[in-house]
Amino acid sequence: MRDLQGIDSLLLNELKSCCAKEYNFLPREAGLNLIEINAIHSGVSAKCRDGKVEELRSLTSFFGYRTQTFVQAVNLLDRFLTIMKVQPKHVPCIGVCCLHIAAKMVEEESNVSPTHELIRISQSRFTVSDLNRMEKIISEKLSVDPDMVTALTFLHLYHSAIGSLEEIPSIGRLEAQLKACLCRLVFSKAKPSVLALSLIAQEFEVLQSATLLKIIQQFQKHLKIGDSELLHWKELVTKCMMEYRSSECNKPDNKKLVWIVSRRTAQSLQTYHFSVPGLPTIPEMSWDESESEDSCEDLSSVDSSPCGSLGSDGEGAFFPSLFHH
Amino acid sequence: MMGDRPSPPRAMSSAPTSSPSVDKVDGFSRKSVRKAKQKRSQSSSQFRSQGKPIELTPLPLLKDVPVPEQPELFLKKLQQCCTVFDFMDTLSDLKMKEYKRSTLNELVDYVTISRGYLTEQAYPEVVKMVSHNIFRTLPPSDSNEFDPEEDEPTLEASWPHLQLVYEFFIRFLESQEFQPSIAKKYIDQKFVLQLLELFDSEDPRERDYLKTVLHRIYGKFLGLRAFIRKQINNIFLRFVYETEHFNGVAELLEILGSIINGFALPLKAEHKQFLVKVLIPLHTVRSLSLFHAQLAYCIVQFLEKDPTLTEPVIRGLLKFWPKTCSQKEVMFLGELEEILDVIEPTQFVKIQEPLFKQISRCVSSPHFQVAERALYYWNNEYIMSLIEENSSVILPIMFASLYRISKEHWNPAIVALVYNVLKAFMEMNSTLFDELTATYKSDRQREKKKEKEREELWKKLEDLELKRGLRSDGIIPT
Repeated sequence: MRDLQGIDSLLLNELKSCCAKEYNFLPREAGLNLIEINAIHSGVSAKCRDGKVEELRSLTSFFGYRTQTFVQAVNLLDRFLTIMKVQPKHVPCIGVCCLHIAAKMVEEESNVSPTHELIRISQSRFTVSDLNRMEKIISEKLSVDPDMVTALTFLHLYHSAIGSLEEIPSIGRLEAQLKACLCRLVFSKAKPSVLALSLIAQEFEVLQSATLLKIIQQFQKHLKIGDSELLHWKELVTKCMMEYRSSECNKPDNKKLVWIVSRRTAQSLQTYHFSVPGLPTIPEMSWDESESEDSCEDLSSVDSSPCGSLGSDGEGAFFPSLFHH
Repeated sequence: MMGDRPSPPRAMSSAPTSSPSVDKVDGFSRKSVRKAKQKRSQSSSQFRSQGKPIELTPLPLLKDVPVPEQPELFLKKLQQCCTVFDFMDTLSDLKMKEYKRSTLNELVDYVTISRGYLTEQAYPEVVKMVSHNIFRTLPPSDSNEFDPEEDEPTLEASWPHLQLVYEFFIRFLESQEFQPSIAKKYIDQKFVLQLLELFDSEDPRERDYLKTVLHRIYGKFLGLRAFIRKQINNIFLRFVYETEHFNGVAELLEILGSIINGFALPLKAEHKQFLVKVLIPLHTVRSLSLFHAQLAYCIVQFLEKDPTLTEPVIRGLLKFWPKTCSQKEVMFLGELEEILDVIEPTQFVKIQEPLFKQISRCVSSPHFQVAERALYYWNNEYIMSLIEENSSVILPIMFASLYRISKEHWNPAIVALVYNVLKAFMEMNSTLFDELTATYKSDRQREKKKEKEREELWKKLEDLELKRGLRSDGIIPT
């Protein structure tokens, strides 16, 4: 095992340079605060933003986009919302647009979903030309950099650094957890380096490895992340993860999805229900039916049914007794 | 009357003539519309011997006769109506046919409004009159390939009289004065047996009346109930396992629906047997569409009476799930949804695995209507709540197909619906969803790797083969 102080120096340098750049990609804190306190009807609220981000998460998963696409899209969205005064009704367009921009930067060309498909699947009300216009606006207002530094960047760096020293679970889980966290506006206030580290700290806490603790402390030292800051975000992350893992159904966005079916299916759905027959119910009266005064004309011995013959009406078993509860 | 069709144009390169207002489905005109231009066919097997024309002495009207004499007159009129006319010969006995018709009409009214007319002697006469008129061997179907779904049925030619006889009989049965204790001497098992045979009539109007008649008889004659049930049993079993031909299945099921609705709890073993041995196998018949609504109703009624039957019912449906008929598959999905609408959560848990394995297959069906119908389950709030409670079991079963068809299905509408479903699952259980996504992706990657390795292996073999081939040819000296 390598010496504890041997966090790979290359990685460390990478981390430090990312740290230096991360401020460029932070959404303005003042703007985030404003969103937080916004009531739903006066401007974009936290609920509105969170709902939109959840939707982007669904779309990311559906189109098979990478986590990086999602993380960058959320970053663009947050930054845009904090520098422009936006009406809530435009948030859907902005959100989908950010996802599209991020996809074009990150994904292979063949994997990027065409805009009309994006709009159709997300059941959005705006048009392709709306989307194109929004794209221009966003590109003008933000510096859209394919090498943007996000929490995911740090997560990967941390993970490879630790992975060379200790056995740790794969990064897939951490990525999923990061996506879940980003659906809450509060985490956009954290510095990406801190957020990523708190995720790792929270996730590996259960492993209770002294080595890991020391490694995390090393990161803190090199990247100048204070104890209280880390603790604060770690607590919030833990709380978020508890909700993420709980079996309670989480329906943040009350937007009801539209179910479009073909004409034939719609017709068959309508004409389906044979609800109430025209014939009134005939109540069964068990005591009356077991007596039969008509046994003189018992024709059951005549017919050669596979069920076998009946004794007096109602008393014989219809079938051999295979079925008794 | 045959409609005049426009004659085709003479030119060589003529556009095809199309009959006006033909409903085209999938580019092909429906058989039924083509046939509608033909005269509606009629048939009857009431043949009387060729002989002298029928003469009936006209009787006075009942209302014109003093009340004490009415019962006797009533009997005489009944006896007169026992005479049966040949309606296939449209010109014979027109006057007498009209006389019988108006007499029957009069009898219908009389039975509806009168009091004190029903003597004991009347019962056998009524039954005799009805028997003479309705009991007959049904004519064979005109065309050998009568397709109940597409073709127009052959109607009963003597309907002008027959309808009134049925009408009369029903009013008689429903009359306030009607006494089953007297009637049961004449309306017996033999009568019921013949009645049931008539349900095979091609004429839907006749079957509708028969349905009402049998329903009333079942209601009033407690001693006949078990017999009726047994005979219906036999008819259905013959239908399913021997002939696959019987025109009255829907009507019989409708009657059964009202009987099942009235079952006392706890359900008798006989009834449960009927469900499992007769009703479930009825689903396998080719002409299911003709009576499916009624059948589904019966099934759901059973389950509302006794929820513990849910498991055998659903397992039965899954066993008989259509494999080659998509139209039937859509029907099954509809019925299943109705069952799920009333299912108890404890029962749901028992069958959820095999159930959703089947739904998963339906959802991936290349037939878009099947896929669409299955996906639409997720729009049902109650089903959604059941899925939510059990998402840890159901999601893994559905996940692979959903994810795969979101990428591969040819129909864009299906892809959009799949998004709705995946989104719902994501909200239900994020952790599990993410885990499954990760596993799916890594599985896919592993498969791709294997595929690549296999291809490379084949390529190596090909190269080896080439080299070997060159050496054995002796072209390149060793």
